[in-house]
Amino acid sequence: MRNRTKLLLLAAIALAGAACLLFREPKGLMAADAPEHTESGAQAAMVLFPASDKTNSGAVGMKPVVFNHKIHEGKVQECESCHHTGDPVPCTTCHTVEGKAEGNFVNLERAMHATNIAQRKGQRTPESCVSCHEKIYAQRAECAGCHNIVKPTRNDQWCAVCHTDIPTMTKEQLVEGIQGKLDTEENIALAQAALAAKKPVDYLDPKRTKYRVVIDTLKDKYAPNVFNHQRHIVSLKRHIKGNALADAFHSTPEVFCQTCHHHSPASQTPSKCVSCHTPSIDKKHPGRPPLKAAYHLQCMGCHDGQLVKRPRKTDCTACHKLATAQQEESK
Amino acid sequence: MNRRKFLTLLGSAGVVSALGNAATPSTAEASHVFPYYPDSYGVLHDTTRCVGCRRCEEACNTVNALPKPDKPFDDLSVCNTKRRTSATQWTVVNKYEMNGKAVFRKLQCFHCQDPACASACFAKCFQKQPDGSVTYNGSQCVGCRYCMIACPFYAPGFEYNLAWDPLVKKCTFCKPRLDKGELPGCVEACPMEALTFGRRTDLIKVARARIADNPDKYLDYIYGEHDAGGTAWMVLAPANPKGPKIPPENPVLAGPELKQLGLDTHLGNQPMGELTYGALGTVPMIVAFWPVLFGGAYGMTKRREAMHKQAQEQTKREAREDVQAAVDAAVRKIQETEGEGAADRARKAMAEALKARESAGKHGEGA
Repeated sequence: MRNRTKLLLLAAIALAGAACLLFREPKGLMAADAPEHTESGAQAAMVLFPASDKTNSGAVGMKPVVFNHKIHEGKVQECESCHHTGDPVPCTTCHTVEGKAEGNFVNLERAMHATNIAQRKGQRTPESCVSCHEKIYAQRAECAGCHNIVKPTRNDQWCAVCHTDIPTMTKEQLVEGIQGKLDTEENIALAQAALAAKKPVDYLDPKRTKYRVVIDTLKDKYAPNVFNHQRHIVSLKRHIKGNALADAFHSTPEVFCQTCHHHSPASQTPSKCVSCHTPSIDKKHPGRPPLKAAYHLQCMGCHDGQLVKRPRKTDCTACHKLATAQQEESK
Repeated sequence: MNRRKFLTLLGSAGVVSALGNAATPSTAEASHVFPYYPDSYGVLHDTTRCVGCRRCEEACNTVNALPKPDKPFDDLSVCNTKRRTSATQWTVVNKYEMNGKAVFRKLQCFHCQDPACASACFAKCFQKQPDGSVTYNGSQCVGCRYCMIACPFYAPGFEYNLAWDPLVKKCTFCKPRLDKGELPGCVEACPMEALTFGRRTDLIKVARARIADNPDKYLDYIYGEHDAGGTAWMVLAPANPKGPKIPPENPVLAGPELKQLGLDTHLGNQPMGELTYGALGTVPMIVAFWPVLFGGAYGMTKRREAMHKQAQEQTKREAREDVQAAVDAAVRKIQETEGEGAADRARKAMAEALKARESAGKHGEGA
């Protein structure tokens, strides 16, 4: 009798497991066999060209963006979140590289990247790609930690996250796309191919980083702090696991390094804090926080964003013991 | 000196003094307004960074050799009460509730560009130094505590416990340390760089850059840039994350936000001292002219009284002389017509009648 109950229970667990495997959520739209249309009837993915009315536009130099319409549709409440006029037409109908009267002369660059958008009275305030994404990572605790203390530098690398190469695209197709003459079928085919080619970033393995860092440059009243370096990276990685936005935008394996080692070039052996932050005010760079403040601002800034409640910010000895207490311990 | 002469003199003196004020406004102002030192230092207090650890209080206590407080500096519960600076605590950190979030702010002397304490002190104890500090020299202090009343930030404290020679005590901007090339004690001790030391002009740039980089984090208002005519110590406050965005540099709209942090935006852009310089500047004129004015008025009244009395007496004398002349004429006529005896009798009767009338008149006057 007892055995039968056990057997039934095991069978139930097995069934549940199988069901989980069968009906689990499909993973993003990385796969090439994704449906061509979404719930709203729009294409699942498309290539957004830098549309221009001029025949020899300088926009040819700018790479187009592959936009995953399906994943965005699932994340926003309504079509008007992006199609702010309420009319679901392509952005480039009103916003071109040069700007048009229909779009109130807001050019494509601003429509996609502006973050200083004035609040509209009595109507919906439009959002750009960048302003909406910035809002998301400021709100989510798992993102807000790093993004509280570091702002991505607006450099070529930053642009290249979205403005990627589309391997199958020809020069003619690009020109046609800019002029708005490219066939829809061709556009979709290009987008699908690009999405299929995109691979999620392979984050740096925490085991390849330093295990512990002893911060002892400033020891005086307090004993050196033993910073568990590896644990922090593991934790950061765990927090954003399965986050599609993070996977899409974290483009380098060293992305976590660049949070704390914020101005160091992307590298697996970035420079130390002390190489820029001197213990007392640096006369050449007076605006730079001195070392002690740099540590505290960086640690507490991230913990604030991640809503880490402990240790309290005023509990000094939680991170570094009093020097006198440590001496007694060693005796 | 008669009335006309006196009035002419007074009038011309008034015109001269008015002209004098109007003709030399620059020199008059220069003598009142404190010099603005372009390279003076200041401190930017970023309340979004302050964690309320009281390290600044501890450092202030140590470097200035102040008496140890009853509660130790690692007791952070004291921040919950709204403490004020005093003679033994030149700086305090208080906890404020700002839009439902705890925000800490350090209180100390703001080291105004044109200090109100200095304008109120008649013993000239306070001095704005070229390095930005407002220093106090108690050698001439009379203990009137006008400075404490004048200060819009309630910064100076008084040694009430001393029976002999109590003095005013307040933050010195660590002037002795600045002179040695060291940072103020509190700034050096701050573990969060919530206190940034630098030239005031640079600090305003730093503050603007921080606001521009984090528009959602900061209230777009540098407290102390213009408040109370500008202060060397300035404060940045966090923005209300849920409320509407406040337009830049708007003291009216930023006021309710900053009030939660115990900061008053109603102090105006004008230095506090300028409110009193005008009134106090007229004191010497009043001292010089009022004795002349009232002395003259007194003299004039007295003189008029004397003249009036003299005129009255003259009239009386003339009237008496007239009566006497009439009596003499009448007596002479009687003498011519009726002889000596009748004239004598008539003169006697008339003299008696006059005497009787005079005494009756005097009686009437007396009554």
